[in-house]
Amino acid sequence: MAAGLAARHQVDLVECIEWVGVECLNEKSDRTYTNILKQGYREDNGLMLESDTDEQLLMYIPFNQVVKLHSLIIRAPAEEGPKTIRLFANRQNMGFGNVGDFPPSDVLTLTPEHLQGKPVLLKYVKFQNVRSLTIFVEDNQSGSEETKIQKLAIIGSTVETTNMSEFKKVGHS
Amino acid sequence: MVLEATMICIDNSEWMRNGDYAPTRFQAMADAVNLICGAKTQSNPENTVGVLTMAGKGVRVLVTPTSDLGKILSCMHGLDIGGEMNLTSGVQVAQLALKHRQNKHQRQRIVLFAGSPVAAEKKTLEAIGKKLRKYNVALDIVSFGEEDEGKQEKLDSLVNAVINNENSHIIHVPPGQAILSDVLISSSIFTGDGEGGSGFAAAAAAGAAAAALDAHGGFEFGVDPNLDPELALALRVSMEEERSRQEAAAKRAAEEAEKNQTEGGESSSQGGDIAMTDTSSAPPVLVADKGPDFMDEDTALLEQALKMSMAEAAGAASTQGAGDVPVGEGMSEDLVMALQMSMHEAAGAGGSTTTPADTDISRVLGDQSFVSSVLASLPGVDANDPSVREVLASLQEEEKRKNDSKGKDTEKQG
Repeated sequence: MAAGLAARHQVDLVECIEWVGVECLNEKSDRTYTNILKQGYREDNGLMLESDTDEQLLMYIPFNQVVKLHSLIIRAPAEEGPKTIRLFANRQNMGFGNVGDFPPSDVLTLTPEHLQGKPVLLKYVKFQNVRSLTIFVEDNQSGSEETKIQKLAIIGSTVETTNMSEFKKVGHS
Repeated sequence: MVLEATMICIDNSEWMRNGDYAPTRFQAMADAVNLICGAKTQSNPENTVGVLTMAGKGVRVLVTPTSDLGKILSCMHGLDIGGEMNLTSGVQVAQLALKHRQNKHQRQRIVLFAGSPVAAEKKTLEAIGKKLRKYNVALDIVSFGEEDEGKQEKLDSLVNAVINNENSHIIHVPPGQAILSDVLISSSIFTGDGEGGSGFAAAAAAGAAAAALDAHGGFEFGVDPNLDPELALALRVSMEEERSRQEAAAKRAAEEAEKNQTEGGESSSQGGDIAMTDTSSAPPVLVADKGPDFMDEDTALLEQALKMSMAEAAGAASTQGAGDVPVGEGMSEDLVMALQMSMHEAAGAGGSTTTPADTDISRVLGDQSFVSSVLASLPGVDANDPSVREVLASLQEEEKRKNDSKGKDTEKQG
């Protein structure tokens, strides 16, 4: 009931992503994060993010204001779709070497339904004051060397703060 | 215009004291590092470059990635040389330094200089390479100096593990071949990434080429045309004049040589028993009287004579009979006939035509009134000068003697 109440105020946070700072490790250079995050691209199932050397992926997504996260919407192929995902709030400069060093804010285990686009609910209380989100894809459904994702949407709400990127100088004229 | 953060791993081990790259391995590498730093920071204003040393007391980061070129260059001064290169930890520290770059939009690149042997196992290197690739780091390796213990193979496998869309390169620079930085500037480390290289690289390459030229006595006249354009122009003009003068002289010399040759050809054809007495003894004045078309005809004849003398001088001289041609047994009779006929014709024509050609100059000189008029028209020459007269007289005498001897020759044969 509480979750349902919160869901009413939840929006797609694609507008809040600080694109300059987004980074994805172990992505193929021609199948990058833009294919799954950006408006338009993410709706195209042919455009995917693919892992390069092995099945792991590490995405760092900063926001241009403080946000609260509610859920993720992930769409991926049934075989190569991600399975275990670890989420970290407000951790910068993470690498594959130190993902085990910090306790994750949340651990998700995705089912085939989730990969069809069913929202994956997060521990709402853990994501109340988020400036950046790190998504670590640990393995995929089939255990193969390649992970593919077609869409990733972050659902949540903005905290009422000043968006500094909209802060402009006002002329006198 | 790739936006890039670069870490340069330099080798400051004992091996770098070796002098097989001028002036020393270390100095050669320092030059190359300066060059790369300049190229990287100028190809995009937001590019950053950092430097770390791999030998000495462990890996030491001298500068974290920065766009301040002065900071980068100054850190290279007064470096201690010593110890052994630790390639594996050097690369990993570089990767860490890149991970903590300020601007995440920058691509990551490590440039590694390896002048000493590589101690690490091939497998370890491959694992490191894979890790770099996973972290989206590109790796360029400049391998020089020591070549033993399968160093090349190890480094190749390291780069091959990293390589992703041709983003990583390795070059091996053998000693004594060229200056290290000169080799680098034309390599894919500068021009790579499929963007045709940075403008800086091109400019630097041109500069290096100019510098190399300069070192070898470079600018065309030892004068930089950019510094003194007027002097350069004057030098060039005088150079061209001199060149054309030399060309004219060469032409004249060639003509004279041709004339000598035709003379030779003539004498050899006279050796054959072809009747030509009347033509050869014809007075030169008659031909000279022919007037305006004389010159054209003369050159045409000269050409023909030359051709003939080249082809037939030997043949005509050697075949004392009526132009017998040395013919293979298999030749048909018709062909033999045709050849013989052409020989006769050529010899005949040569006999009749070479004479005027041969005596061209002497004829002109022999015409005293013409010569004296020419001399008179020349400024500063007095046709009545006794010395000039003497020369002319001697010329005429020589001409006469020549004609006489020729007449005797023909008489003998006749």
